[in-house]
Amino acid sequence: MEFIQKKSTDTAVEHFLVKAADQEIPLAWDRYEGQLPVCGFCEAGLSCRDCLQGPCISHPFRDASKQGICGKDKNTLAVQSLLRLVIKGTMSSLDLVGDLANDIETGDTKPVDKAAADKALKEVAAIFANKETASMKELPAALSKTWKDAGIYPEGILRDLFKASQKLEGGVSGIEETLLWTYKTALLGSMAQQLQKKLKKAVFGEIAPTKLELGLGILPQDIPTILLYGQISAALKQKIAEVAKKSKVKVFGVCTDPLLPPFVFAPATNYGSQEIPLMTGAVDLIVAGDQFVNPSLMQVAKDWKVTVVPAAGLDKEKDLNAFARKIVDLAKKSFDNRADIPKDVPADTQTAIMGFSSETLDAAKIVKGLAEGKIKGVVVFSGSSNVKFSQDNEYVEMAKVFLQNDILCLSEGEASVALAKHGFLNPKMEGVECGKNLAGFLKSLGKNVPAVVDCNATEFVLALAKAGKKAPKDYPVFACFPEANRSIEVVKAMGMVAMGVTTYFWPSLPVTGSPETMKALSDISAAKFGASLQVVTKKLSAPEKAKLFLNEIEAPPSMSGKAW
Amino acid sequence: MKVIKVDSEKCTGCHQCELWCGSEIASVGKELPQAINEAPQPVPRVYVEGKKFAIQCRHCDDAPCLKACPNGTMRKDPETGLIYVHEPTCIACWMCVMVCPFGIINPSPIIKVAIKCDRCRNMGYPICAEICPTQAISIEERKDYRKKKFTT
Repeated sequence: MEFIQKKSTDTAVEHFLVKAADQEIPLAWDRYEGQLPVCGFCEAGLSCRDCLQGPCISHPFRDASKQGICGKDKNTLAVQSLLRLVIKGTMSSLDLVGDLANDIETGDTKPVDKAAADKALKEVAAIFANKETASMKELPAALSKTWKDAGIYPEGILRDLFKASQKLEGGVSGIEETLLWTYKTALLGSMAQQLQKKLKKAVFGEIAPTKLELGLGILPQDIPTILLYGQISAALKQKIAEVAKKSKVKVFGVCTDPLLPPFVFAPATNYGSQEIPLMTGAVDLIVAGDQFVNPSLMQVAKDWKVTVVPAAGLDKEKDLNAFARKIVDLAKKSFDNRADIPKDVPADTQTAIMGFSSETLDAAKIVKGLAEGKIKGVVVFSGSSNVKFSQDNEYVEMAKVFLQNDILCLSEGEASVALAKHGFLNPKMEGVECGKNLAGFLKSLGKNVPAVVDCNATEFVLALAKAGKKAPKDYPVFACFPEANRSIEVVKAMGMVAMGVTTYFWPSLPVTGSPETMKALSDISAAKFGASLQVVTKKLSAPEKAKLFLNEIEAPPSMSGKAW
Repeated sequence: MKVIKVDSEKCTGCHQCELWCGSEIASVGKELPQAINEAPQPVPRVYVEGKKFAIQCRHCDDAPCLKACPNGTMRKDPETGLIYVHEPTCIACWMCVMVCPFGIINPSPIIKVAIKCDRCRNMGYPICAEICPTQAISIEERKDYRKKKFTT
């Protein structure tokens, strides 16, 4: 890890960094510097704590200590470091879909389309019962065959999660076998994510592209304000929004799904700066989920007298309606108690269109655009943010290069919020330069299509494959995780690769201690799926990273091995 | 003269000094991911031995390696007193390796030079002292123990 001079490219966040330094309030960036230098063994994936005989390392520079006590060598340690991340990420994905399924089954939320909801619930049950789901049967036949041939077709949690996790407990699996188990687990996570989208649509209805304002400036100063942090039960969010609307309380979000029709939880900021909204003084209460939520919020909240309500504790609130009312009441009380807290809300807001889907983004037009050369390729941005980079810098600088070179850019989740803060999801495209061909193409896609289109990556890739009747690997489509952070993002990345989309991931995954594992991620993945997961260890600026994509997109077939 | 002091009570045996010496000093790439993949394998100049103690070259006042070196490859910097290997002239005789009482000179049969710590003399601060997480490794002025008075 290295020292990062410029913490954030978000000017609103920078204002509070100065304030935090003056008031000696430690933020994520300060704790990052305190951690430097980090353990090189852990960073390279050359350590293990799976049993109590260790912890063990594999020393890259000594002839002794090459293997852990049980015999795990650098290759096993590195590939298992990846497996460990993917297991966690898949559990995160399953938790999300499980939560929503539970909300429906308990009657806490009433689906708009009950038939579709029942169908999706059966699929959720199938995953937990180790049966094939209907969605898996709808996958392109070529993709299913690829996965079956590789032995990684999703079979449910017993095999894909529990059995995979046993590779960490011992055994004699080599790099390739462990890597394939990692893909198998990641695919289960991917399927769970797609199921969650299906369930969400059945419960809340079709999500249309929605115009919203985001950024710190959206926080009001004269009305009780609730911030929802992280992944929270959709039913609870819906109920909070319903009660809040009646009580004239505002609700916004950080690292939480912004669109749950008819409600919008506009993002106040993104993951890396999640502590900052509390420093504006304008937030009265936060509802904190688990995933994507920094424990440090508790201390910052205390400094600004903000009430913190955990969304899902051991003493789970059974009556969600009562819980929602309690939350809104607490927010109003907190607002009254905090009247003396000075407010410092920057004027920074940005307009964004979010919520495109395979229904509203014409995949057939994109296939045609690629065939006619109007766009050279497609890049999907995903991930969140990471203190190892200047916040949002990688997204912004890479997007600029792609857009200028007629590459269609999509984004999802926190990547969309990062880009939206800097105007890339604003249909007015002020200050955003697109290549001439791309600009015309975006207009042809419809009204108000911004430079970067917020759309679920997996859904888009599958729609593209269906529209063009070709496998995803036969399109110049790439996935880019330029500021990745959480394990669920590793699952998404590996799911992309398994679908045939070459994926670049930063920062380097903890596999750099084993050249053989890095090669396998490239070569074995390319052989099995026609795509690779690129672990780039060389220090590159964001435009140089973008050039890696351009080089691949523009390489002649003889070099790239691709027919596009 | 400043010397490296290692506090064995603070050393946790984490090997970070070896890792960083190996990547930032000994390697060509100067970054850990590149250094791990290099051939020949980079050789750190510090050794974490036995019950958690990091040992480097002591840069002895009366260095046996200086005397043993047949052709002046082993040299002493007159300003700093640091002993270093002038690699271009090393003939890989390994006399220095044999005479070092601390065993911290490493014969590299692949690149055919004697490898030892030079206390990062071309850098501002020794890397092992800089990155030690517990500050077990530090830089201090050498106390002249011969002048210490003993009372009976």
